[in-house]
Amino acid sequence: MVHGVLLAKVPLTEVDDLVQDVFMMALRRLSTLRGTGSFGAWLAAIARNLANDYHRHSVPEDQLTDDTSDNYIAGGNTGGDHEGAATEILEAVRSLPDAYRETLILRLVEGMTGPEIAARTGMTHGSVRVNLHRGMQQLRAKLNPNPSSNAPEQETP
Amino acid sequence: MDTGNNQTENKPLARGDDYLWDGSGEPDPEIQRLEALLGRFQHKRPAPVFPAIAPDRRWAFIPGRMRLVPVLATTAAAVVAIAVVAFLVNGRKTVPVIVAGWDVSSVAGTPRIGPNVISEKETSRLGVGQILETDHQSRASLRSEDVGQIEVEASTRLRLLTMDTGLKRIALDRGTIHAYIWAVPGQFVVDTPSAVTVDLGCAYTLQVDDSGAGLVRTSLGWVGFKLNGHESFIPAGAACATKPRVGPGTPYFEDASTRFRAALARFDFEDSTPDQRASDLAIVLGESRKRDALTLWHLLTRVDEGQRVLVFDRLGKFAPPPAGVTKEGILHLDRPMLDLWWNELGFDDISVWRHWERSWAGASTPVREK
Repeated sequence: MVHGVLLAKVPLTEVDDLVQDVFMMALRRLSTLRGTGSFGAWLAAIARNLANDYHRHSVPEDQLTDDTSDNYIAGGNTGGDHEGAATEILEAVRSLPDAYRETLILRLVEGMTGPEIAARTGMTHGSVRVNLHRGMQQLRAKLNPNPSSNAPEQETP
Repeated sequence: MDTGNNQTENKPLARGDDYLWDGSGEPDPEIQRLEALLGRFQHKRPAPVFPAIAPDRRWAFIPGRMRLVPVLATTAAAVVAIAVVAFLVNGRKTVPVIVAGWDVSSVAGTPRIGPNVISEKETSRLGVGQILETDHQSRASLRSEDVGQIEVEASTRLRLLTMDTGLKRIALDRGTIHAYIWAVPGQFVVDTPSAVTVDLGCAYTLQVDDSGAGLVRTSLGWVGFKLNGHESFIPAGAACATKPRVGPGTPYFEDASTRFRAALARFDFEDSTPDQRASDLAIVLGESRKRDALTLWHLLTRVDEGQRVLVFDRLGKFAPPPAGVTKEGILHLDRPMLDLWWNELGFDDISVWRHWERSWAGASTPVREK
């Protein structure tokens, strides 16, 4: 979850380092956590704050580019075409509004379901659903700006 | 992080969103393509353990342990420090993640939790909100020290809905599970598309086909099957089918005659004429044996008022109504009298079930979070 939150906001090459920073900070602040129920939301908040700090201190916002290297590709296929397409799609996701891109990355990259995202981040189910729905709508529009080919017909099972 | 637009939060969304939401429903090819492409960026390293935040639930049942809280807290803090340092120093070494859920191991093939294949060598964890899926060659085994063990057959899809102290709930969307439950009766609940299954201290097999129809077969103890107001109790040796939009049928012992079972299936699920229903009921009553009192008792609440007296008479022949139970009361479906008579049949005390009903009034309907 922490990885997904960070991936939505910082360059790929910085994500792993920042994941460790998040857990270091969480450890230092553990005594300030009130109630175990909010642990996920608390951890997500730390991740978002660190991502914001990263931008304040080191990189202008508009330089959120992907310098994807093989070190960061966990999947088996590292073929150039797929890698290029994946990077392009990731960029499209990261150009969406904050709430949509984070929720979509948790769903599409980290493989979490909507209920799991809600449970881990502390968001309501309704918020996660709306973020997924609208984020996906905007992502489809970005990836395929031609509306006629972007609206698949409902298939009969 | 929230959209902040609360007015739209509960607005019904398009049906195609089911797959996007929790992977259920008709898969969306475009989303599947995005998952496949973007999955390469997924985080593969384990997260550090926070045992003070997610304690092992076994401790919660032992009040005497409370005296050890200060000691445990100190120990937990030390473990946290060690775990995090270990994670930071050896990022790629395995550090188990403790979350409420079931331990899952692969029995055959390549079962998956979400997009992740379960390793043959290691135990994975099925957390709340996650989906376990087996293909036609895969099987898996789930185990929880507090609840029991579930064997998951091939071509099965289940979701973990809740893992609270008093209620463990999964949804079986399709496929077959064999459940061996040692949790307190009433605490383990399985949603199917057409009924809710409540463990009442037992071992049972539950099957759900692609249409959402289900069948439960109890091998030990008994199981409750419920949808809204429709309920069935299935003791060891008995089975009960359930159908979408109808709910649980009438339970029967599997050694009943073929004619008995066929007539009962038609009576429960076919859209028959009144004459056909009367004919099927006559076969069931005529073929019934002493132990089929199980079926007859359930039929009391499922037959027309005019037929009820026939069922009463037949059931009374096998198990006379006990003191406090009158014909008039049964014909008017007096609930306490029905329960008293059930307890005389020798299956189990129905008060366990009634207690569950009172405790989990909202749990008799399958969870739908869509």
